[in-house]
Amino acid sequence: MPDKVSPIEALPPASRAYGEIGPVSAEPRWGMVVDQERCIGCWSCCVICKSENDVPLGMWWNRINTVGDALDTPYMVQGELAMHWLPLACQHCENPACTKVCPVQATYSREDGVVMQDSQRCIGCRYCLVACPYGVRVFNWGRAERPTDFNTGMVAPRPIGTMEKCSFCVHRLTDGQIPSCVWSCPGQARIFGDLNDPDSRVSRLIRDRGGYQLLQERGTDPRVYYLPPRRKRGLEP
Amino acid sequence: MSATNTASAAASGGAIAGRQHRSPARLIWLILLGLGLAAGLGAWGYQLSQGLASTNMRNPTMWGLYITLFMYFVGLSAGGLIVASAGRLFGGVRLKPIVRLAVLEATVAVVMAALMLLPDLGRPDRVWHLFRYPHFTSPLIWDITIVTIYLIISLVYVWVYTRADNARRGSRLAFGTGSSSADDARDERMKWVLAAVGLPAAILLHSITAWIFGLQIARGFWYTALMAPLFITSALVSGTGLMILLALVVRRVGRISFHDDLIAYLAKLLAVFVAVEAFLVLCEMLTAAYAGAAFEADPISRLLTGHFSPLFWFEIVIGLLVPFVLLIVPRWRLRMAWVTVASVLAVIGIFAHRLNIVLNGLTYATVPYPPGVSIGTAQPLGTDSFAQHLFYYPSWVEWLVALGILCLGALMFTAGAILLPLREKTHEESPAAQA
Repeated sequence: MPDKVSPIEALPPASRAYGEIGPVSAEPRWGMVVDQERCIGCWSCCVICKSENDVPLGMWWNRINTVGDALDTPYMVQGELAMHWLPLACQHCENPACTKVCPVQATYSREDGVVMQDSQRCIGCRYCLVACPYGVRVFNWGRAERPTDFNTGMVAPRPIGTMEKCSFCVHRLTDGQIPSCVWSCPGQARIFGDLNDPDSRVSRLIRDRGGYQLLQERGTDPRVYYLPPRRKRGLEP
Repeated sequence: MSATNTASAAASGGAIAGRQHRSPARLIWLILLGLGLAAGLGAWGYQLSQGLASTNMRNPTMWGLYITLFMYFVGLSAGGLIVASAGRLFGGVRLKPIVRLAVLEATVAVVMAALMLLPDLGRPDRVWHLFRYPHFTSPLIWDITIVTIYLIISLVYVWVYTRADNARRGSRLAFGTGSSSADDARDERMKWVLAAVGLPAAILLHSITAWIFGLQIARGFWYTALMAPLFITSALVSGTGLMILLALVVRRVGRISFHDDLIAYLAKLLAVFVAVEAFLVLCEMLTAAYAGAAFEADPISRLLTGHFSPLFWFEIVIGLLVPFVLLIVPRWRLRMAWVTVASVLAVIGIFAHRLNIVLNGLTYATVPYPPGVSIGTAQPLGTDSFAQHLFYYPSWVEWLVALGILCLGALMFTAGAILLPLREKTHEESPAAQA
């Protein structure tokens, strides 16, 4: 899908270092950790995702769901108010429901675990959208509409009538850079890294903080883990 | 009763059939179908120019009328062929006068089903990818394979059943085969082989169509091993119902003849199928609702009391209960008017059932938190581009495309009924013999 080159190399060295993936094992298996304790529901990751990947109006590869019944509204836990968010993009499952059902193998898992979408092969049957339990795939129903009349993204726009989805910013990964949503999170709620390396920050966080997978009972085995909030933030010291 | 008997008696005379050939009614019928087809083609052209945004499908309800009609037509087809094949394998000669009609209906319906997939694709120009890059873990590829096999079987079926008469008429459709007794003996053998191959193919066709839905763990409402048996039963209900209606209509225009007893026999079958369908629906609902697990129980409460309840209770009461009562009483079963009403209701009821299966499986986001799933098209300012549930109603484009394919199917069926010898010669003179 990406036929544009990320201009990361043109960045000043300091900002380049900030987005670097860092040391990885010989055969990395990419994963992400989302810390629900740190997420403030600001939608920065969603917005930069739209810009980085040139996602048209009305379509989101990445979204922030509010835990509870109403958007950006607290919910009750044991008689007390609490407020948490569930940032949601492709879970890059180990056992993806979507790749199995694609009749033309337009969606597939890479060696490093990234679930990819080939919009040049996609026939637009939307079976993957039916199969995905997370509702993170988006279809080009009509002609793409964008707020600007030029393309903002670092990857090629997708044609009408095809499926698209989060790619873990695969064009950045090849440059040794973390995905845009991770890079841009002001609360540093997203952590990206190598799940094959037991000492990587993602592996340690999943172990230490009891990282859980979304809709675990469906058996899709996501590579995105969520860290449950440990305590309620209060005003007391 | 008396009216239908005289109609069948007159029809078997053959004189009426000759007059009907030049009737203006047929011309008007064909023109109407042609207009419907043209409207469908126009709507599809519009959809191609605008993309699937011209339908009311969106990311939360990504499948709609097209897929529902696809599985409905598959059901009509499988039902017709199961009745025809099972009749030969187990039922003896009773259904013989309408077997040709059944295989013609099965062929037309499976063509309609295959065509129904085209407008559903976002990229119909890439449909050849299905054959260039087939991915055999996808139930959709299994389905396309079985639809192709089934279509070939149906075409051979039609050909074998009409071959002898075509040869006798000197028609080119006999492909140079003769009408000797050796040819007829080969036909008989072929018919047994076809019934033996056609019955499992028809059952498989509908099972695989069921697995498109039933294997999806993401959709609690679909994820049940009961899906395939349920689909086969509803195929039998709608297929038998349509067979009764078509047989009565085609007899009325004088292309075939049979005694009312045959309809009564089909009506009895239909009553059994309706009862099994109701039983399976009950099994499914009870299993899903009893444990009370949200991802299974929520769709059930939507059916019983929620958004889909009108459609669901229509399916249960009008589509299953009323036909069952009409068909189970032997006295009513012999009245063609009641059988017609029951068949119409069963055929419509199964369509409601299909709509419920597709839409209730999809309408609600599987991650229940707001704001839900992104809709997928640019929304006017101030309108939410997310939805936790999006109630789907087909757009005029979808209705017209569906109408077009319906008219094309009716055209193909009419052409088949006109061009092919549907009448079984042996039963023409003595309709009472089968009683």
